Amino acid sequence: MAEQPLKILDYDKLEIGEELGSYEYVLTQEMLDNYRESINDPDACFPTLAVKHDATALNMVYNDTTGGVNAGNEVEFFNPPVPGKKIRVSGRIADKYLRRDKPYLVIEATAVDEDGNLLERLKTYQMKKPDEVGKKWHPQA
Amino acid sequence: MASASLEIGAEIPSVTKSVTTESILQFESCAIIDRENIHNNEELAKERLGTTYTLASGRMSIAFASESMRRFFGPDVFHHTGSVNLKFLRPVKNGDTITVTGKVSSQRQVDQGTEIVVEILCENQNQDRTAAGIGIAIV
Repeated sequence: MAEQPLKILDYDKLEIGEELGSYEYVLTQEMLDNYRESINDPDACFPTLAVKHDATALNMVYNDTTGGVNAGNEVEFFNPPVPGKKIRVSGRIADKYLRRDKPYLVIEATAVDEDGNLLERLKTYQMKKPDEVGKKWHPQA
Repeated sequence: MASASLEIGAEIPSVTKSVTTESILQFESCAIIDRENIHNNEELAKERLGTTYTLASGRMSIAFASESMRRFFGPDVFHHTGSVNLKFLRPVKNGDTITVTGKVSSQRQVDQGTEIVVEILCENQNQDRTAAGIGIAIV
């Protein structure tokens, strides 16, 4: 992906279906080992979960000064990524909506390896009023 | 590995994980861009969330649930037909112990075989529900 200045994320201006572009990286054995250790699962095969493909796609385009809280994830697995191979990720704005007066943003990313194998499709539901977490779970702060 | 016909209510293997600041930070270190966030920066978590602690990424719970599903269906099945869909219900943070449980809730025939749906729960050490949702695999 070409280096471009980040746009300030304005929730109201985001368009459903907006493409976030694509980017590539090489998955290393070190990344896989690091991921496995972090979740204490020596047989885990999708370090792509921790790479956060969809959030990365968003953050390569937008400067999100508000942030958000992950309210949910949907992930589909198709083929485990192979260390040493290049992964190409495409992201998009899948949806946005209000629920109980809170704005939600749904981002989605699809990952394919250099051989064209579909690896993973990941969707994240971000609640864009992160201070609600503190109000609900840490009211004394 | 699960057979093609499963009893409704069959339990998937339970997985229990300790979540620590170290494991949260190590998970975040797998990112391919350097970025401060509510998982790796306490000040940012305080500013944005109003908490005095960082949160574990919800994706860690997805990974834990995926392990339970993989152990039930086997990697040959789960890594090619599996999915996990969780809603996060309360924060997970340093010091928490998360246990994933799940039961087969339904199955139906699809073109590729039998689609098995598992209801998944994640609870912390206080038996408070931290996430809930479903996992699916086709056998």
